[in-house]
Amino acid sequence: MSARNGVLSDTRELRVVGFLCNWCSYGGADTAGVARFEQPTDLRIIRVPCSGRIDPLFIMRALVSGADGVLVSGCHPRDCHYAEGNYYARRRLELLKQFLPITGIDPQRFEYTWVSASEGARWQEVVTKFTNRIHELGPAPRMQGGSGYDELCLKQIEEGVKQGPACPCHKERAL
Amino acid sequence: MEAKFISHDETTLWLDELAERHVVLAPMWDNTVVTFRPHVKGRVPVLDRMPVMPPKDGVFPQNEVLLKYKHEKDPENLDRTTVQVKETLPQETAVVVGARPCGTRGMLVFDRVYDCDKIRDPYYVGRRQNTLFVTVACTRIESTCFCHDVGSHPADAEGSDVLLVPVKGGYVAEAVTERGEELLKASFFKPAAAKVQEAEEVKSVNREKLPEAHDYTGCGEKLMARFDDLAFWTEQSAKCISCGACTYLCPTCYCFNITDDSVGLAGKRLRTWDNCMSFQFTLEGSGHNPRPTKAHRLRNRVNHKFAYYPELHGVIACCGCGRCIKSCPASVDIRAIVKAAQNYTPKQEEGGDER
Amino acid sequence: MSTLEQLKEQIRKALPDLDVVIGWEQGYDAMHATPLFIRTEEDIDRLIWSPLCVHSLGTYLTGLTKTPNVRKVGLVVKGCDSRAIVQLTQERMIPRENIVLFGVGCTGCLSHARLEYKVEQGGHYVEDMHSITFNGDKVEVAVNGDVESFDFDTVCLEKCLTCRFPNAIATEHFAGEQVPVAPKCEKAPSLEAFEKLSLEERFAFWQDQMRRCVRCYACRNTCPMCVCRDHCISTSRNPHWVSQETSSAENFMFQMIHTMHLAGRCIECGECQRACPVDLPIMLFRRTMVHAMKDTFGYISGADPEATPPLLTFKVEEDNIKERGW
Repeated sequence: MSARNGVLSDTRELRVVGFLCNWCSYGGADTAGVARFEQPTDLRIIRVPCSGRIDPLFIMRALVSGADGVLVSGCHPRDCHYAEGNYYARRRLELLKQFLPITGIDPQRFEYTWVSASEGARWQEVVTKFTNRIHELGPAPRMQGGSGYDELCLKQIEEGVKQGPACPCHKERAL
Repeated sequence: MEAKFISHDETTLWLDELAERHVVLAPMWDNTVVTFRPHVKGRVPVLDRMPVMPPKDGVFPQNEVLLKYKHEKDPENLDRTTVQVKETLPQETAVVVGARPCGTRGMLVFDRVYDCDKIRDPYYVGRRQNTLFVTVACTRIESTCFCHDVGSHPADAEGSDVLLVPVKGGYVAEAVTERGEELLKASFFKPAAAKVQEAEEVKSVNREKLPEAHDYTGCGEKLMARFDDLAFWTEQSAKCISCGACTYLCPTCYCFNITDDSVGLAGKRLRTWDNCMSFQFTLEGSGHNPRPTKAHRLRNRVNHKFAYYPELHGVIACCGCGRCIKSCPASVDIRAIVKAAQNYTPKQEEGGDER
Repeated sequence: MSTLEQLKEQIRKALPDLDVVIGWEQGYDAMHATPLFIRTEEDIDRLIWSPLCVHSLGTYLTGLTKTPNVRKVGLVVKGCDSRAIVQLTQERMIPRENIVLFGVGCTGCLSHARLEYKVEQGGHYVEDMHSITFNGDKVEVAVNGDVESFDFDTVCLEKCLTCRFPNAIATEHFAGEQVPVAPKCEKAPSLEAFEKLSLEERFAFWQDQMRRCVRCYACRNTCPMCVCRDHCISTSRNPHWVSQETSSAENFMFQMIHTMHLAGRCIECGECQRACPVDLPIMLFRRTMVHAMKDTFGYISGADPEATPPLLTFKVEEDNIKERGW
């Protein structure tokens, strides 16, 4: 939650959050570690019991709080430790993926995939690919500002005034 | 004090100039509504209507950092921590432009609570002293307006520093306080001369537009007589959806909550508006809630304005702006509730007591 | 017999078996309706039915049906309102057997914001409107001595332009004629316009808009699908999902909570945006989610009492979810 209020600057290494299921993907990451596969260091792993435990709001909270990317990984379909957790997860995560563009958050910053405990090499590939993608995208924009006296807010409003109304649907303030 | 005249165009220029030295909060269009936002150079304020938000944000912001803190661990003994606390008293000076007289008068309700003999809230007082109110006399009487019922009128200057009266081509500006007079020394203000007469007419015409005032005298006792009559309150609150639109938009609602927002070992102590329509408002640590239903909560809101506060301070804590009626998603009408208590006659049958 | 007369008659007959029937009555002025709680015969006379009856009365059900002394509740519902009841029934959130629905066919509801804009454009002051009549596809407003006439489509709520469910479904009673299903467009014009913006522009837009949210929770509390009521996670301290601070980020997070919890449940009644005192265009979020639901799972919430909401079930092989190659 550390960057919730934009306390830390963007000059640090990028923050990629990984939600990994305990039984497969976390094991996979472990396997990759034991096998000494080289991995990017930006990923901070949060271990969850099952990908079915992941609320899409975990991902939103991470993105709003300053994560530059969020990776979710669980057991392959048909392989869930709890038989069907990842099926539910798949539906939720897919919806989130489709929803993200409306918020202006790049959907490329979020990905979900399946890695089993034995797939150390695959984990290495997934995490490297995703981290590289986030590095290409660069730091995510942070939602900042508040009401009233906020100095930052003043600057942004000034920008806003220069640009004119931001939303075409409200240019005619009717709908 | 001599009245001055300022044209519409020069009003914007005047705000530009003011904004160089102060935070100027002025009404602006945001989609279909007008809210108070900091004025930036060149942006034309919307002064011809009542903003949907009250002007209280200028003195009593929805978010206020009371203090910042930082815990430090003793490197020798990690169990020992010390805490550093830094108070963040408000520094800015502000001018709130474009509130209606009703909204500005709302601040007087705050004053009796946060700046009195017993209690002096340094944050509130700090901002209050640093904030000027330039009020625009009201020319647009809406169906939700009832300022005249609670002892005010559309050109009431009480609580304002400057009153702007809309006339052809601009405003006649009347200084109400010394600090207001100071503001009118800006070069944009010209002698008003003949416009003064027009301003007086504007004032009286709009006062007459209001229907006959309702008499709220003695409504406090009538409301208190219904205090234990939960069936009455259940009926009155049936359509209330228990959101906080009425309280957050109310120029006289002053309740707050204090929470700590921690980031690792450091954080800030926040004061934010609170809302008595919310279940959490009176929820106790034990899980008990003395106001468990919306009937209890709406009773509190109405009684606070029309019974409790008048008993303590001698005036109704409602400025009659009508925002709580106009912006209520279910059109709950506070006037109707008070009147229902005033006109109450016992029914034969008792109603249910649903939430 | 007019729809209203039929409705009154039906309510009058059913009232002895019901503790309360919720409908609409005239509000504090000619332009506004307000919910009416009918408990006695005399109350029925105050009932109205017109495009002013915007409120989705289903929002009272979750609280009301859990209250002692209230066993059976009647409710007047439009098409969109009835979908809320269907969806809540599917989720077993309400005791459907104790609810009696009085359905009506709806030709659209008035948007006060759009009407006021039109009236102002015509050089009038909105407070001078003193009566309104709905005349087929025209709306006539008496304003300061003049009568202004508008096409209904230009002053109705945006949801009514895309409405495919004008008639209440799965109701015990139905008053008046069935209204023909005639959506004016496939996609809401505001969403259509918004989708033309780039990601950066959208993000900047929300950052600016969210500043204004006061977190009064009117959007949440008018929502018929928001069933957590006093125990919403956005006002809970433990877990602490959102700060009390009303910064753009925290307000946005709250809106995300609302959107996510309505995924596959939102019936697009638009009450959230209508209730918002500062007019946040939150229906953009809702509609996007509704479209995603429809595209991915072919599901329309609240349309079929027998259907299972997609997020409460799964398929081993999903039809429309492409596994991305990694």
